[in-house]
Amino acid sequence: MVLRVLLFLWIAVTMVIALLRAPLVPVLEETTRVLYFHIPAAWLTVVALGWSMINSVIYLVRRDLRADDHAAAAAELGLLFCIGATVSGALWAKAMWGAYWNWDPRETSIFFVLLIYTAYLALRGSIEGEEKRARLSAIYSVAAFVAVPFLIFVVPRMYATLHPDPIINDRGKVDMDPMIRWCFLSMLVGFTGLYVWLQSLRVRVSRLERAAHAA
Amino acid sequence: MPATGSNSAAAVWTILRKECRSEWRTRYGLNAALLFAVASLTAVSFAAGRLSDRTDLLAALFWIVLLFATLASMSHAFVREVEGRTMLLMRLVASPTEIATGKLCFNLLFLLVVEAVTVPLFLVLTGAPPVRWGTFLAVLGLGTISLAASSTLVGAVIAQTRGRGALFAGVSLPLLLPVLAAAVAGTRDMWASNPVASSVRLLAAYAVALLSASLLLYDHLWED
Repeated sequence: MVLRVLLFLWIAVTMVIALLRAPLVPVLEETTRVLYFHIPAAWLTVVALGWSMINSVIYLVRRDLRADDHAAAAAELGLLFCIGATVSGALWAKAMWGAYWNWDPRETSIFFVLLIYTAYLALRGSIEGEEKRARLSAIYSVAAFVAVPFLIFVVPRMYATLHPDPIINDRGKVDMDPMIRWCFLSMLVGFTGLYVWLQSLRVRVSRLERAAHAA
Repeated sequence: MPATGSNSAAAVWTILRKECRSEWRTRYGLNAALLFAVASLTAVSFAAGRLSDRTDLLAALFWIVLLFATLASMSHAFVREVEGRTMLLMRLVASPTEIATGKLCFNLLFLLVVEAVTVPLFLVLTGAPPVRWGTFLAVLGLGTISLAASSTLVGAVIAQTRGRGALFAGVSLPLLLPVLAAAVAGTRDMWASNPVASSVRLLAAYAVALLSASLLLYDHLWED
């Protein structure tokens, strides 16, 4: 309970400071502020999908349904954060590029990630039997995660994109105003906390559902 | 049962031969795939006319025709075993990895046959400008490996679900989109005489990653 209130306060305070006090980046101007939401969402997409893949591997090795609960919950949440990153990116693109969507390599690859994990959930829905569902979804999840590094990290760097420099740029340095950096890092921590909390909730729901089903 | 290297290779070879033989007896899958590829090719070239000066469109249509032919026929290798109730028997004589690798080889061969018919026909019907063969075959070959690897893995998974046929295209396609994007870019650049090295590298890396993941995952395809 205390942790949840702290998390809420953390995100709320950071958001107020980030929106009211943090300076703006030239060229991006007011749209700078999307980064406090957009980048943490994109970051958690990768973290959640990676967590889903790790738990899928654990399931395949140990055949423990608890790992499958984690894998499914992480894929759902990863999809949720991916939608968040896509929508906030599209809004930003409208402001900066003049259109919500124009198939920039970044937009294309995030869209592919959305499709892949929607297919994962569709696959889960079509398999009867817990063990079988866990096993087959784990196989698909691992194969799907093969595409993620290509889509998120390789493709946008290979084809010409208008997307601003990734946070870690070519020189491997973080070029940010200290104030922006602190707000951004704080938001990243807050979002990660939010993800961990949502993940634990989703896993608990799956376990309760299984217990209710077995009873 | 742990099999030695040469035993595994022999098992894979046996599966491949068995696949080819049972395909050759009915030719049902091959006929369906060829018919589908040629029909969609006809639809494309009829609807779009001769596109010799629009190589960007040609590259996209080319891969879409190939992708459709793949999606229409590739789940067949495993679904056939499930519907004929021969899967259990197969698993008695070979390990999951051997079965899946044999099927992968068969799917690869199958795609090559489909392409041997579709590709020349496409180039002729759409009035495509001459291709640079080395580059073209590299893009085509790497794209084919990824198509076969992904559809073998997804095909084996899908054969065990309720939706089977209907689900296969929907679940395979997203995994193939990165391949499609890189292959279309490579083919387009080949025609436009631009450098294609980055697309070929991307295709090669994706094919290798997909193949290695497949080989690790095959073992878990069926419950013991």
